[in-house]
Amino acid sequence: MLWLTWRQFRAQTIVAAGGLTVLAVLLAVTGPHLASLYASSGVPDCQAHGDCARATASFASGLHGSISEVLAFVGIAVVYGAPAGIGLFWGAPLITRELEAGTLRLAWSQSVTRTRWLAVKLGLIGLAAMATAGLLTLMVTWWAAPIYRAGQQAAPDTSLSLNWLDPNLFGAHGLAPVGYAAFAFALGVTAGVLIRRTLPAMAVTLAVFALVQLVMPLWVRPHLITPMRADAALNVNGNLTTEMTGAGGQMILVGAVDRPGAWVLSNQTVTPAGRPFTGPPPQACASQTAPPQACTASLARLHLRQVVTYQPASRYWAFQWYETAIFVILALALAGFCFWRLRRRRLG
Amino acid sequence: MTWLTWRQFRAQTIVAAAALAILAIALAATGPHLASLYASSGIPDCHAHGNCGTAADNFVSQLKNGTFYEVLFYLGLGIMFLAPAVMGVFWGAPLITREIEGGTLRLAWSQSVTRTRWLAVKLGLIGLAAMATAGLLSLMITWWASPLDRTLAMGGGHATAFDRLDPLMFGARGIVPIGYAAFAFVLGVTAGVLIRRTLPAMAVTLAIFALVQLAMPLWVRPHLITPVQTTVAVSPQHINGLMITNNNTMTVIGGATEPGAWVLSNQTITPAGQVFTGPPTAACLSQTNSFTACQNSLGALHLRQVLTYQPASRYWAFQWYEIAIFAVLTLALAGFCFWRIRQRRLS
Repeated sequence: MLWLTWRQFRAQTIVAAGGLTVLAVLLAVTGPHLASLYASSGVPDCQAHGDCARATASFASGLHGSISEVLAFVGIAVVYGAPAGIGLFWGAPLITRELEAGTLRLAWSQSVTRTRWLAVKLGLIGLAAMATAGLLTLMVTWWAAPIYRAGQQAAPDTSLSLNWLDPNLFGAHGLAPVGYAAFAFALGVTAGVLIRRTLPAMAVTLAVFALVQLVMPLWVRPHLITPMRADAALNVNGNLTTEMTGAGGQMILVGAVDRPGAWVLSNQTVTPAGRPFTGPPPQACASQTAPPQACTASLARLHLRQVVTYQPASRYWAFQWYETAIFVILALALAGFCFWRLRRRRLG
Repeated sequence: MTWLTWRQFRAQTIVAAAALAILAIALAATGPHLASLYASSGIPDCHAHGNCGTAADNFVSQLKNGTFYEVLFYLGLGIMFLAPAVMGVFWGAPLITREIEGGTLRLAWSQSVTRTRWLAVKLGLIGLAAMATAGLLSLMITWWASPLDRTLAMGGGHATAFDRLDPLMFGARGIVPIGYAAFAFVLGVTAGVLIRRTLPAMAVTLAIFALVQLAMPLWVRPHLITPVQTTVAVSPQHINGLMITNNNTMTVIGGATEPGAWVLSNQTITPAGQVFTGPPTAACLSQTNSFTACQNSLGALHLRQVLTYQPASRYWAFQWYEIAIFAVLTLALAGFCFWRIRQRRLS
């Protein structure tokens, strides 16, 4: 059974190994250049010299337009796309190809039971999927480490400022892609078992996987650990975003959040009573002729408070473990469903 | 033949129409509010007031931090880049390979309709459907995101990768997605004709399309029109980057820039015309001097900055060139397919 799985899975293994090798070569060739750019722009010891803003801006300028910038985006795209590709090309066709070609009857009328047949296939190819995703993540994370370290030091709202918890980047490094790959593979096999035709199963796998990847950071991940809440006086002298619609109308104030690396879930300006502050703007702010200090002073008299709900950067690995665990459990649940389904039904 | 194509393509049409409808509803529900936020943000007449930078930053900050608009914006980008690939993989590659693997190709080709006419109607109708889908997608998403695009182009939120001409945005707006979709579809059909098995054809289509999408902005698009090159003196107070390596070299990145332009290269040269590589000045090497002292020491070097770029005004010229290139590639691949199916036994 092991040999059979390998023999049927040979082509996919070679393609995956080839793809990993090509990417490894590309990353190895550009890695030293990126590391030297990082070192020479002064970022590593910028904390000691106190010029992190300038050093990270220097690093970002050096990166802009170089091949490393392209590879950074390609790396993120590949790590996001690999689990989907695994689900589509390894998971969905696993059973449907045999169904459509008629070889399933041959496979299931051997001395190997259906359960053992599926167990070996799911186990081996699932492990291969997780190993591929793990290697991929390892390579890309190692290569992009200078960019992330510089991003931690960068001033917020600059082009380089990024944090590992950001929903756009969270699934592109660490441990989560391994969970994604296992889940996508199991999802593909389940879709194949239920739909029994290759192309629709592939399309459904893609759609459901994309949906899950959208829903997870939006509605599930923020609540995995109770967010922290910071309630402090609004710093009117700091970076303020203001939006006004006419004198006497509405005014929206958003204060800056100075928590490097944190994932800000909500950032509201509230009145001392606790309600969201919606205006009206003080006279000094709405008037076109008053100096900005008068506006700042009148805002200070309002005693506004800033309520920030956030996940601190220190929880990064906790989130990664939780996410991987959730997806692996989902994968096991789907696999269990497949086992149950295959035993009860005539599929061929 | 038209009815047959429709009957065999019915499921894909329904899926595409449903996806378009869902996206249209999501965009229509949020688009007008986004447009009204933009109108009240002060950006439309910011040039008169001279506060474009702050107005743009305010508008972008409002929408960040996990609002639905940020999600939809990135989703729109992702959809625009993935839709042509998905059409090539799911509509193009299985077109012929499914019939080969199902054994129905012999039946289809032993009718009174010639092979050429069979392929012509299939390629034509489904190709047009792919182009129409991509065109509708691009129309909806470009319309929805136009307030954000204009703001980001002004430098709002300090995002540097979101100018219209920048590779990250160029392929996701305007008319080029139509060309991408047609090319991906015909690429899929060609892969199917050559490989004759569905899954490998799908994988190869995906790989080649991704490669082309990577090679185009890197090596082809910058040279479609000769870039503009300007040389300005490096002002020591406005440098973007300063790098000092261990082997005693120093790189300076000048701060002059062209708004909205696609900067291809930004080099600092000495008065003699060579690329400046150091050695670092004493003021910059010293650990105790302030950065201003380092900046001032650069003035004595009389460095100049050579900026090679494509100006923002060339945006539509690039769009038309790109769609023309992909149209030519599509027709060439289609012609190859016609030639190939006439010459060979495929099943």
